Amino acid sequence: MSVVTLAVPSKGRLRETALERLAEAGWDVVPPADARSYRATVSGRDDVEVAFLSASEIAGELGAGRIDAGITGEDLVREGLADSEERLDCAARLGFGHADVVVAVPDAWFDVETMADLGEVAAGFRARHGRRLRIATKYWRLTQRHFSQEHGIQLYRIIESLGATEGAPAAGQADIIVDITSTGSTLRANRLKILSDGVILRSQACLFTANGSAPAPIADLSRRLAANAQKKAAPSH
Amino acid sequence: MTTHRSFAARADIETILAERGAARIDVPVLQPADPFLDMAGEELRRRIFVTQSETGEALCLRPEFTIPVCMAHLAAQSGPARHGYVGTVFRQRRAGPSEFLQAGIEDIGAADTLDADARSVADAATMIGRLGVPESAVETVLGDQTVFDAVLAALGLPAGWRLALAHAFGSDAALAATLDRLSRPAPMPDMPAAIADPARAGDRAALETAIAGEMHAASLPEAGGRAAADIAARLLAKVEAAQHTPDPARLDALRAFLAISAPLDAAPDALTKWQSAAGVDIAEAVAALAARSDALAACGRDPGRITYQASFGRRLDYYTGLVFEMRDAGGEVLAGGGRYDRLLPLLGAPAPTPGVGFSVWLDRVAHAAGGVS
Repeated sequence: MSVVTLAVPSKGRLRETALERLAEAGWDVVPPADARSYRATVSGRDDVEVAFLSASEIAGELGAGRIDAGITGEDLVREGLADSEERLDCAARLGFGHADVVVAVPDAWFDVETMADLGEVAAGFRARHGRRLRIATKYWRLTQRHFSQEHGIQLYRIIESLGATEGAPAAGQADIIVDITSTGSTLRANRLKILSDGVILRSQACLFTANGSAPAPIADLSRRLAANAQKKAAPSH
Repeated sequence: MTTHRSFAARADIETILAERGAARIDVPVLQPADPFLDMAGEELRRRIFVTQSETGEALCLRPEFTIPVCMAHLAAQSGPARHGYVGTVFRQRRAGPSEFLQAGIEDIGAADTLDADARSVADAATMIGRLGVPESAVETVLGDQTVFDAVLAALGLPAGWRLALAHAFGSDAALAATLDRLSRPAPMPDMPAAIADPARAGDRAALETAIAGEMHAASLPEAGGRAAADIAARLLAKVEAAQHTPDPARLDALRAFLAISAPLDAAPDALTKWQSAAGVDIAEAVAALAARSDALAACGRDPGRITYQASFGRRLDYYTGLVFEMRDAGGEVLAGGGRYDRLLPLLGAPAPTPGVGFSVWLDRVAHAAGGVS
């Protein structure tokens, strides 16, 4: 019998909440005896196992077919794997880990409210300032898709930013940012505003499987997780 | 893969380049990636092969020849020159090959731009013909951004509109979307009172001060990026646009212009007709297009067999005038070219340096030649 592997983020709140939700769905993950191990079993099950992986690696592992399913943020999947819409199924939305990937510009850019405004500013940017408009982000793929493919904006440069992205405009490292936000408070504190059509992705934690090939234990888990997430979302409970 | 991969065929191309008066230039396959990304934008990154040097410099396999040839020209610090090249370019694609053989000529520094433009079109046509594709199987389409710019100026459109339209030029979809957006009344920008009061009053100085205050509060750098004056100018243009109902007649006139497609020798007449219908004056641009037609005839090209398309352009901001494409019967692009007077200054040329050039896709030409023989 082949063992089905489910990947779970290896640390942080995503890991803790994912383990809670799994327990509620009947998957009681037994911590490995060796705390440094990245493999765990599920109580009473010998047909499944859990692999703790970095949340951002889960998309790639799914794409490569090395794991059967994974729980991680949708933003990380869309960013981490080309053509993820075609290659992976979002089997269940789990109702936690909410975050939006957004385009944010300085509050002081009173003339920029939409992507169309931004496109015009980007088009004239080099003529005025001798360089392209710079976007600080760690979301290369999502940024390119939103700017180039959806809004026809090509004239910009991406400045890779792996942390404190919202501080990049004030630090002079970039002009605008593409980043995740859950409450918007960090953006407000940095005097940045989201463009009216600047929400690239409304992300949450999801159970992903390789396209059309969920093994039976995963399909069953997916139904339970989705049902529980719906119950939590319903206000009457 | 094709006959052009053989040394004999490359020798043919070198002969053609020499006949057309172009000196052969070689540029490295491995190029710094930044100039390409700066010129074409970040979208290009998905379509080129990028790697890194040991020191972290982004390098790429050359995706085209124009930029490397221009950089080599600048490095040599020589005068005007016609550079001919043949070699492989590399493009990432989801399917199919990612290596393509290209040949072309970049004519850099020639002062007589009308003549250089015509020669570039003639060079491209000659190369395709010499490689075995009969003229009857090739469709040549020509566009001219200077005509579009003249039309925008003559229609007296608001500055903000002209910027938006110029930005969309080169993509029919983007132009249509922009025209749609402009034909609806523009919404008043959402502004806090401290900004709205001077903006509605048209008080530029007070507006700049208020914006500068906000930028200072956000610790935005004062130099190197958008300044309060830039933001104020665009905001005032938006407020002005929101206070005026769009004039549908002028947008309809622009749509009628963009729909013009005619043999190049008949295009000046078509533009003259448009000009009187629209009640504006673009006589200078019409005369320049007629001169372009004559210059091509002088280079042995029949302008009656070249199609002028008013909406044809490239969405790259270093192209400034002529653009052209030669396509086979199936619409496949065999050659593309154009004038890029802004490119060399952007690459660091100390003085204004005009340039015009074209590239022939040799694999497609071989296919087209094979298909008709």
